[in-house]
Amino acid sequence: MDLKLCHITKRFRKRTVLKDINFDVGPRELVSIVGPSGVGKTTLLKIIAQLDKPDHGEVVFSRPPTRAHPVIIVFQDYVLFPSMTVRDNIGFGLNARHLGKNEIRKQVEQMLVYFQLTEQGDQYPAQLSAGQSQRVAIARAMIVSPAVLLLDEPFANLDRNLKMETARFIRKTQQEFGIPTISVTHDLEEAFAMSDRIGILLDKRLQQFDTPRKVYFNSASLDVAKFLGPVNIIPEHQFALFQIAGKGSEQILARPENLAIHPGRDGPGRIREKAFAGHYTAYTISIGNHTYTAYSHDDRYQTGQQVTLKLTSL
Amino acid sequence: MSWTIKHCLRLSPLILPYLVLFCGGVFLTVCQSFGILTPLPHEGGALDAYAKLLADPAFFASFFFSLGVAAVSALLAVITGTILAYRVWQLPRQLATASLVYKIPLILPHISVAFVILIFWSPSGIVASVAHWLGVIQTLHDFPNLLYSGWGIGMILAYTLKGTPFSMLLVMALLFRFDVRQIQTATMLGASGLRIFFTIVLPRLAPALHTGFIILFLYSFGAFDIPYVLSESRPGMLSIHVYNLYFKHDLARRPEAMAILVIMFCFAVLFIIAYSKIVNRLESGVRKL
Repeated sequence: MDLKLCHITKRFRKRTVLKDINFDVGPRELVSIVGPSGVGKTTLLKIIAQLDKPDHGEVVFSRPPTRAHPVIIVFQDYVLFPSMTVRDNIGFGLNARHLGKNEIRKQVEQMLVYFQLTEQGDQYPAQLSAGQSQRVAIARAMIVSPAVLLLDEPFANLDRNLKMETARFIRKTQQEFGIPTISVTHDLEEAFAMSDRIGILLDKRLQQFDTPRKVYFNSASLDVAKFLGPVNIIPEHQFALFQIAGKGSEQILARPENLAIHPGRDGPGRIREKAFAGHYTAYTISIGNHTYTAYSHDDRYQTGQQVTLKLTSL
Repeated sequence: MSWTIKHCLRLSPLILPYLVLFCGGVFLTVCQSFGILTPLPHEGGALDAYAKLLADPAFFASFFFSLGVAAVSALLAVITGTILAYRVWQLPRQLATASLVYKIPLILPHISVAFVILIFWSPSGIVASVAHWLGVIQTLHDFPNLLYSGWGIGMILAYTLKGTPFSMLLVMALLFRFDVRQIQTATMLGASGLRIFFTIVLPRLAPALHTGFIILFLYSFGAFDIPYVLSESRPGMLSIHVYNLYFKHDLARRPEAMAILVIMFCFAVLFIIAYSKIVNRLESGVRKL
């Protein structure tokens, strides 16, 4: 199963929310659409799930979803059924398919084990943590073998230290169940960690759709680059100072981690600021009338020190 | 001035009417049912009125008839109100606004609703006339005597008509706060409309349904206005029985009238306690969001 979004445009009254969105998701692929809050990510998911209709364009499935294999959204706050236990929540889709009680029990138990929810089986949603609720919601969706799984802000309600762990868990689960998955999020690190491809939704349009590495290191525009994190703009006349050979572009965008600091008295740059940031140190370096940010694991450089910056890789 | 007195004074606008009107009224009723503080000196034992009632088959017939009318009408009103409210909630926003017309029967007095039922369903009423005009019945006498059939159908219809919008109002209040994504999720998971209603929506509405049922049941059980217009004499509603004993018999029977009121009051209290306990037991463990 794969799907393709063709020229999706959506307006609310006169305001255009999504404009000419095109991308495709392959079978067994996990795609993340990232963008700031309010950019229309959830609307896009609702259109794919056929809970909302686009004003223009269409979503084409290689095999149209059916009642047996539907498209399922796991909403941001999971929307578990509050009057049902975890077990009943997970088995809801199978009950709706009129499967036998023994079959339902067997499949639910397997899910409880896989999602590490065995102890919570008889609890109600109000008794669960956010992480457990999310696992119940994903298990409830996975048990019916959905055609496509849609995750709406899967990290929004989780503690900081749980987010990356959850991203890895989602990736592992998605690979094991082999279900094409689209996640919309504004948590960039987690999206990078779990996705095969990433789409950047900015200003109503999908600005770039590529692998995480390409999107991050070869951003299609300055806006995309800035959205994904700090970025340095190296103008053409300073290319030589950075030992950049190629010409032909007016400027090069470089991430702070792509700039290597080399101390030297004849270096063109001077360290203006130094800030400890945990697993690296952020240096603010001025060259001519331009200011650059470079990350280094080396904490020895001092403010005022002369340095040279080199572009390591893109 | 102590803390307690200060707070009692501040609460006096609430406490005084409760003490004087409610507690005072109950106290006087209980006293008179025992033959104390009656207009005429009471001759006989304190429990004579209760003994007489409990030995009277007509009292039990009346009690169970009132119970039946109240239970059936409250149940019908809650069921109809819930289904209608759910349908109204599903309407597009523009139509849902127009459907506020359902609130109109709420402002009608009970006595008006009784006359509406009388005008529509009596043997010479509108329904009979239409049936006659359509040729369904040959004469008006062929129309079944629904209102005075001995089953309390007229009262049940009136209480249902009056109680339905009340149930709708309670249910709508919960539905407006209901997360529509629960229905979307259940639909995506393959559930039918009926399954969604019974397994997702209804459990969320349960508090409103229980409250609505208790209020409507107890009101219908003890109300006087609709039975006065639509009730039959045998078996009659308890409220009519009390009225007759109070106004149409001599003062010596006042303790019996009061004893019926005390029994009705005790029944109402026991009913609420028993109902709440049963509901709590059925929902034990369920901690809704």
